[in-house]
Amino acid sequence: MKRINKLLETIGRGVGRVVGAMYQAGRESVDQVITNVLPFMAFISLIIGIILATGVGDLIANYLSPLAASLLGLVVMSIIIAIPVLSPLLGPGAVIAQIIGTLLGTQFATGAIPAQYSLPALFAINPQVGCDFIPVGLALGEAEPETVEVGVPAILFSRFITGPVSVVLAYLASFGMYQ
Amino acid sequence: MEALAKAAEWFIGLFIQGGQTFSGLVVGIIPLLIVLMTFVNALIALIGTDKIDAVGKLAAREGIIYYPIRYMVFPFLAVFFLTNPMAYTMGRFLPEKYKPAFYDSAVSMVHPPLGVFPHVNPGEYFVWAGIANGITEAGYNVGDLAIRYLLVGFVVILLRGIVTERISAIMWKREEQPEASAA
Repeated sequence: MKRINKLLETIGRGVGRVVGAMYQAGRESVDQVITNVLPFMAFISLIIGIILATGVGDLIANYLSPLAASLLGLVVMSIIIAIPVLSPLLGPGAVIAQIIGTLLGTQFATGAIPAQYSLPALFAINPQVGCDFIPVGLALGEAEPETVEVGVPAILFSRFITGPVSVVLAYLASFGMYQ
Repeated sequence: MEALAKAAEWFIGLFIQGGQTFSGLVVGIIPLLIVLMTFVNALIALIGTDKIDAVGKLAAREGIIYYPIRYMVFPFLAVFFLTNPMAYTMGRFLPEKYKPAFYDSAVSMVHPPLGVFPHVNPGEYFVWAGIANGITEAGYNVGDLAIRYLLVGFVVILLRGIVTERISAIMWKREEQPEASAA
């Protein structure tokens, strides 16, 4: 009898732990969607709506999309975004990357930019990722102030190299996709 | 009067289009996002985030064979389990000389998994979803793009780790030299 009780207790505990974790995970996910994702969706929808309804979208399709529909154009875009002075300014909240990404998305949707350019485009809009956050990120990793002093310029210069390289890598990796 | 009515119609039209886009995004993305995030968050809670500490100690070792651990496996695990921005706290396992490179590597991993594991950075979901949504609307399946984004992401963070480690090593040397000659 004691054994059975013990077994039941173990099972009960195990189930409780799993159910509790899942419930908590659900709560976290819903919280995150409400506080982080939905507001951004509203903002993005507003921008897309205005662009589509006013005809600015056609201007972009005619003049800017051809630039994004070539490897050279995407590399140039990544170099501009990765300029060490610009990249920390473009970083915060990845807002700029998200807006450019959504604008490009509208062009992919209409076919103005061929779908196989989506992979290099994902890297071209993002060489500045985290450049605004370097001192805080290093501090979270318990780095010394001297490390921060070297780390900030080192990462910014590194991006200037790895930004365009990542676009080329993504371009090479996009062969055979959506063709 | 008619002109006014036309203007009002045009004005509202701007937002009707936006509203349609919004409902498309909410219906198309949110349900999957919530269920997927619930699954992964529960999984992480059950596994426990302390398990990756051991990988951190391995990543701190010298030698060329530890590069892929330091700048591919470890940053990915840190981002997967701790998400943005707590992933960067894992830098504490590494010696000072590797910290900038690790941060560069880890922070570059907060977007490439979004197509498969959106829980790592839901607040910046549209870095991925902006383009992915366009691809869906064009009638393609985004799975291919999602997986390639993640795989190329791995290569890019390894590259960033190595390049940033080299650049910071050179800058450290330069900073030490003037002091040495002055002394």
